Amino acid sequence: MRFLFSRVPLLALTLLGLAISGAQAEIRQTSVWWLPRNVTMFGHEIDFIFYVILVLTGVTAVAVFSVMIYFIVKYRAKPGVSAVHSHGNNTLEVIWTGIPVFIFLALAIYGNEQWTQMRLKTPPADALPVAVIGEQFGWNVRYPGADGKLAKMSAASVTKENPFGVDSADPAGLDDFTTYGELVFPVDRPVRLYLGSKDVIHAFYVPEFRLYQDMVPGRIYDFVWLKAEQTGQFQLACNQLCGQGHYKMFGKLSVVPQSEYEAWAKGKAPQPTAAKETSTVPVVMAGR
Amino acid sequence: MSTATLHSETHAHGHEEATGWKKYIWSLDHKIIGLQYLFTSLAFLFIGGGMALLLRWQLAYPSTQVMPSGDVGNPLSLSFINPQFYNALFTMHATVMVFLVVMPLLIGAFGNYLIPLKIGAGDMAFPLINELSYWVYLLSGVIMLAGFFVAGGAAAGGWTSYAPLSSVAAYNGTKMGQTLWAAGIFINGLASIMGAFNYITTVVNMRAPGMGFFRIPLTVWALFITAFLLLLAVPVLSAAGAMLILDLNFGTSFFNPAKGGQPLLWQHLFWFFGHPEVYILILPAMGMASDVLSIFSRKPIFGYKAMVFAMFAIGFLGFIVWGHHMFVSGMNLVLSAAFGVSTMVIAVPSAIKTFNWLGTIWGGSIRFTTAMLNALAFVAMFVIGGFSGIFMASTPVNIFVHHTYFIVAHFHYVLFGGSIFAIFASIYTWYPKMFGRMLDETLGKIHFVLTFVFFNLCFFPMHNVGLAGMMRRIADPTAYEHLRALQPINQFITLAAIGLGFSQLIFLWNFFRSLKHGAPAGNNPWEATTLEWTVASPPGHGNFAVTPTVYRGAYDYSVPGHPRDFIMQNEPPTSESIHGGATARRSVPTG
Repeated sequence: MRFLFSRVPLLALTLLGLAISGAQAEIRQTSVWWLPRNVTMFGHEIDFIFYVILVLTGVTAVAVFSVMIYFIVKYRAKPGVSAVHSHGNNTLEVIWTGIPVFIFLALAIYGNEQWTQMRLKTPPADALPVAVIGEQFGWNVRYPGADGKLAKMSAASVTKENPFGVDSADPAGLDDFTTYGELVFPVDRPVRLYLGSKDVIHAFYVPEFRLYQDMVPGRIYDFVWLKAEQTGQFQLACNQLCGQGHYKMFGKLSVVPQSEYEAWAKGKAPQPTAAKETSTVPVVMAGR
Repeated sequence: MSTATLHSETHAHGHEEATGWKKYIWSLDHKIIGLQYLFTSLAFLFIGGGMALLLRWQLAYPSTQVMPSGDVGNPLSLSFINPQFYNALFTMHATVMVFLVVMPLLIGAFGNYLIPLKIGAGDMAFPLINELSYWVYLLSGVIMLAGFFVAGGAAAGGWTSYAPLSSVAAYNGTKMGQTLWAAGIFINGLASIMGAFNYITTVVNMRAPGMGFFRIPLTVWALFITAFLLLLAVPVLSAAGAMLILDLNFGTSFFNPAKGGQPLLWQHLFWFFGHPEVYILILPAMGMASDVLSIFSRKPIFGYKAMVFAMFAIGFLGFIVWGHHMFVSGMNLVLSAAFGVSTMVIAVPSAIKTFNWLGTIWGGSIRFTTAMLNALAFVAMFVIGGFSGIFMASTPVNIFVHHTYFIVAHFHYVLFGGSIFAIFASIYTWYPKMFGRMLDETLGKIHFVLTFVFFNLCFFPMHNVGLAGMMRRIADPTAYEHLRALQPINQFITLAAIGLGFSQLIFLWNFFRSLKHGAPAGNNPWEATTLEWTVASPPGHGNFAVTPTVYRGAYDYSVPGHPRDFIMQNEPPTSESIHGGATARRSVPTG
């Protein structure tokens, strides 16, 4: 099925003279017509539900359209043939009410069960905490230092100068380090995200992670966690309209082996003199 | 406004006919008001469509383009579409299409024109309020579009105008435009509310003798139920709009968390309106398409009562599903479970309706008029739009496809593929009644085929680019490395959109040409059964010279033993053809 969906339209488009240039194709590792590859643990479940619904709706759609086309051809007006006089059939009504009720309820319960499982699974204790606070139009990112702990954060303390709303008295925050628009996750290690916003609603969206979370200002979201299973370079996108620069509010997101992550974190760690919270400097994010 | 004060005893509906040009300004006749709505909303349709083409052009050939090589721009790009203007364009495209095109076309134009004619009434219950609702609607449109001409430009926060982007001037940079948007929404809401209680009163009180509730054509049922949705949902949006104006201009902070407000309050208010709104935009289309399918299949509606009950179910359930727009805002699990289940369940009545439409064409003697082709396309496109909706109803999948082009594809399949095709079907069906002349069938069919083909070429690939990860509401997809490879598809979609847009010129030509040159229609060109086809085309002031008496349901087609394949609703029963269709409950007419 996947082959059919992904290749046939591509071929058709190529024949139309809209061939995809090689320079562009190298960035995507999968077809432009279909889901990008999935790199996270929860993504498998989301993809599975997606395919269940796709098969279900696909089969039903083929059935409905076949019947429709058959009726349209068969019951076209013909001289001397009059239409059947029928006001309906109650047995049929019961059948085609009952079956959809059953299917849709099953889908709802199944989808909800999966969602609850995903949301209720608490992040493992060794999860790497990472805070990401959106602002017009960039990402403040905060990593823990060697202690593996972020400073205490509260949404009420978020200000222009203190984008993370950290409690400066908390010693856990002394070795935290920050980046702007750059995220690095170690592969195969759970990452727990603390998401928030300084100004308007932003959204944390990475299609390869099958992850979308609104970041409504005034609260810190602490329930999102993930485990990337493959390394690679990705783009974090803001996916909630946030103003004029929304279209280029992206961030760099890499998934790397643990050792590489440690080396990167070491290089970012604050100098002892600059251990206090520093405000990040917005960088104009044009191009790369 | 002299006609308003005249109360002639000879006119049961309480006003006299205006003449000449005054007819189109001050007339209180529901038919003229319907036509005012029709012409105005068609004009807005072309304005909104023009905006869509600019949007598509920017997506195919972004003026903002920043390539790795440092190349800026594209020889084909339109430099005046900067990101802020792009945001304003999609905000206003949606606002215009929802509030100034589809709602007024379905409810203002066809609701006004058809309700009194179909129930055998001389006019609406409150003609003056009816006319006022049109002028208020026009005013709201002017106010909304005025945003383009003020400092900062039009509102650019999306048609959903999520706070605090919309409610804090420092964040949006369009204080004036956003205020005008909110004022326009508020005033537009007044027009809807005035229309809604007028329709409800008319349908309840002014049905002709014998027109029991279960003899009403589905078009009227659909508009009747829609009127209740309007009455319950629109005031909530108006209130939200007023709060937005206060936040922007008068220092309140309902929605700004920095000053103790709650951004989610806006989302709840907006979607409490917004989801019933989705059904407001499709229920009348369902009703009218049902009638068109029945007329041209020469068959009674299959499962008439099931159709009515399904619309009741949609109307009720439509009020308890709004939360599915907010799954991604971090919703409590119990709530997301409840909204997930109710959202899946609301698909059931839509499925019932689809099966009954198939049942209606089954065994028919189908006449493939342009109207019928559009109605069949409505069913097919609505099925696709319904199916893509199921993906959104499933919370985990919703998380992934939310705010991508997948959802853009979905709502265009429902709103354009559904509502607009049904509107075309209705225009082709009732144009002869409105203007006394037929639309050209050949031009109509060319228009239909081009629209159908270009529509699918334009919107179907959007499912794919959405699944491939392309976000909606981004002024330049090439800003993202992983989206650059999608650019050929975006260009293809744009070409299809241009084809779709220009195909509508054929419709426009046909529409205006036929006003003078169309073949005379006669009273009943489609050999349909309902009351509007018993009177002249166009019907005279007051509609019915004598109040008709109704003896049967609205769908007595192909009754065995009857010389013709249709029996008018006001045709008295003879011994061999008593077919009430439903119970012969009499209502007491008061009109």
